Amino acid sequence: MAISSEPQKTETTFLWNGMAITARPADKVAAALWRAGITTIARSRKLHRPLGWGGVYTTGVLARVDGRPNVRLDQITVQNGLRVEAQNVWPSARFDLLRLAQLLPSKAVYGGFEHGAWMPKSGLAYRLAERVMANLAGVAAPADAALAPHALPGQRVNVDCLVIGGGPSGIAEANRRKELGESVALVTRGDKLARFARSMGEPVEPLHEGIRLFEGMELFGAYRGGAIMVGAPHDHRKAAVVFEPRSAVLATGRRSIPPLVKGSQLPGVMDAHSALQLAIVHGVAPGNRVAVVGTGAQDAVAARLAAVGVRVVHKGRTEDLIEIQGRSRVTAIRANEGIACDALIHAGPWRSDPSLGFQTSGEGLFQVEAHPLPQSMSVAGGAAVPNEPIRARKNLHPDTLICPCMDVTAGELYCHIGEGETDPEVLKRLTSCGMGTCQGFPCWEHMLAMLASRIGVEPDSFARPTHRPPRRAITVAQAAGLAGLVEPDR
Amino acid sequence: MTKTLPKRAAVVIIGGGIQGLSVAFNLFEQGQRDILVLDAGYFQGGASGRNGTLIRPGFASVAWTELFVLTVREWKSWSKRLGENIMFTQRGYSVISEQEKSEAMLLEGLKVQQSLGVRSRMLTRREIDDLLPAINKSRVRAVQHQIDGGVAPHHAVMKGLLAFCHRNQVDVRYRTRITGLERTTSRVTAVLVGEHRIEADCIVACAGPNNPDIAALAGVALNGFGMRIEAMALEPTRPLIKPAIALIDSLAYFHQTSRGEVVGGTEVPERPRMSLKVDLPVMANMAKVYLDMFPQLGEVRILRHWAGQLHASSDFAPLLGEHPQLKDFWFSAGWSYGFAGAPAAGKLLAEAITKGRIDHRMQPFSLDRFEKTGPIVEGGIVLA
Repeated sequence: MAISSEPQKTETTFLWNGMAITARPADKVAAALWRAGITTIARSRKLHRPLGWGGVYTTGVLARVDGRPNVRLDQITVQNGLRVEAQNVWPSARFDLLRLAQLLPSKAVYGGFEHGAWMPKSGLAYRLAERVMANLAGVAAPADAALAPHALPGQRVNVDCLVIGGGPSGIAEANRRKELGESVALVTRGDKLARFARSMGEPVEPLHEGIRLFEGMELFGAYRGGAIMVGAPHDHRKAAVVFEPRSAVLATGRRSIPPLVKGSQLPGVMDAHSALQLAIVHGVAPGNRVAVVGTGAQDAVAARLAAVGVRVVHKGRTEDLIEIQGRSRVTAIRANEGIACDALIHAGPWRSDPSLGFQTSGEGLFQVEAHPLPQSMSVAGGAAVPNEPIRARKNLHPDTLICPCMDVTAGELYCHIGEGETDPEVLKRLTSCGMGTCQGFPCWEHMLAMLASRIGVEPDSFARPTHRPPRRAITVAQAAGLAGLVEPDR
Repeated sequence: MTKTLPKRAAVVIIGGGIQGLSVAFNLFEQGQRDILVLDAGYFQGGASGRNGTLIRPGFASVAWTELFVLTVREWKSWSKRLGENIMFTQRGYSVISEQEKSEAMLLEGLKVQQSLGVRSRMLTRREIDDLLPAINKSRVRAVQHQIDGGVAPHHAVMKGLLAFCHRNQVDVRYRTRITGLERTTSRVTAVLVGEHRIEADCIVACAGPNNPDIAALAGVALNGFGMRIEAMALEPTRPLIKPAIALIDSLAYFHQTSRGEVVGGTEVPERPRMSLKVDLPVMANMAKVYLDMFPQLGEVRILRHWAGQLHASSDFAPLLGEHPQLKDFWFSAGWSYGFAGAPAAGKLLAEAITKGRIDHRMQPFSLDRFEKTGPIVEGGIVLA
């Protein structure tokens, strides 16, 4: 689809903070908002920094939808009358006093809600302060009581082979196993197979008939060494699935990690996957002047964007980027020179999400560490390619956000590192870095890279903090539907 | 860990979790110096960083209630004494029964609690509405509410304890694993860290699930075994649940943290198991409890699910005191409510070590109770 703002024949109207927004029927809500010029969707927890649709950081797309808190707007399709509201605002989205917190220096929230440095110590005064804090830290109001959800009875699926990832390598591996006569299931978080490859214009082979396809599903958990794997649909009305695969293929691909510079959380900074979805599937330009950086793929991504009418003003290497500037969205980047732009697309460094492999093989009593995968599990495609290094300067700007969910900055981590604390597990517990929406990917990639650079060691020399399921992939009602489905491991 | 270990310490504490640091802090307050704390893992890596953080004074037995009345009193003074905000909040603790039999148990416990001065009572239907507006009232049979109960976030508590130790030259070393213990026929004399020997006047084991292994290093037995339990956290929302909650029929406990996450756990098979891996049924069962009791949680997403380990004694009550076969070898072990109980345990053990006085509230939990007086009978614990 080429970029155009022409009205369509059929249109859908939904509400954003009470304001009617016109959308195309197949739009994701986040894309429809972008088309309407609304780029700030959420605000960070403590400093209320503006956040938007960035791809790998999902905090920026969380909003309240029809009374349900923390719904990912990049996953739901518009419907007439859908009520979408910004969270973390008070008293209202239009007149939001909490936004004043942006004026505070980052230093003011070091420790923040987690350690109560600036809270009264005595009983009653603390309890009053705690009440205020709980309202601020909670970000989203609880779900509307009228929704009255029920447990969604889950199902068990027994297959010879479970392929996780619906990109070209996942499809190829699923087809190959099918040809060998195996029963095969394929799970993809996309609502279509091979979204990224298609948007890059690459050929995609069709999936063989007879392969059970689970689209729009996040496979979040690997239990009992991978003998049980669990996925939940993004759609909160559909039940979760317990897979009992005899073998599994991790074809989970790679994600572009945001640049490790100040401003990387600003609305307008997007990973290549999301930018191509926005431009090519939804026909919305990520910006009027777009910069593309990467570790080699920037030219190809820029060319695809330009082909649908996006104005690309800069192509460069991620490692040359020094800072991303802007207040409520990107206004410029500083690389070897200053470049005025309103969007920055990053295509690398590419790294694979370690969670499922870690969950499968992680062992240890004093430190859980990943080990080689069992023979029943293999890795295919991008996930099997070595991770690209993240280049971290030794002295990052202290306001560089490492964990946008928890407002953890480089400056806060430097404080602890300066006091001699260099254990990633402990840094995580002291700052809550990686304990928010993303549950450690990508922010531990950043934390480990900046820690390694600060103290002069290799990032791989650290044990990673433990990757845990289910990373907000499943609702309580979906999980409740799995009760009794699997016997406890006795 | 570049600083070399000392060759001698007056007191060596094995385990730098809340038990070990509470013993260290109380010993220091009571005048003891030259304290060394050694831990095989990382700061908050054990149960002290994985627990549900709930604190309550009242149980169903005299022994438990007396110990936990003391612990609540200690919790109230910790922020001041440590000089750090540990964020203890007495927002109340509700023990909820869903069945007739458990209601009777709550009423029995209430008598014990009230006789020991615990401010607890059964709530009226009206009070339940006021205190727990979001609860599914059709599931609630009775609520025993303990006004002085509450929670303290473990990261704030542990940070406060460690900061106190650092300020006062209490030497705390993480990632430092004990490989041996030296003894004579009657007492322990030193700990070994690989080739390095540290002579000690007194050794206190506070090693959670590893306590039986520590005892074995000295060639003595210790009741109980290490077992895995699990907990999970929901994505934060603004306040929905005010007090801390224990469900004695569903065997679950949870509370909403001051930063919005609902954190809790439910029953796991009680058997020896040393592992930090989680299993699916606990997440599913816990979710079902949430959905049944607080339907508004149904649309909330589950952030993370983790496992931790504790040292389960035969009666699930703590083992506090000196080992009957070895002098100067002390234990704060066998804990299943260890986070809540640590302030009392630290205080009483420190008194016993420095003054040689065994407090009457510690006495029932002695290590040799199984042979002498029998196990402690306590029906009010939810081991989850």
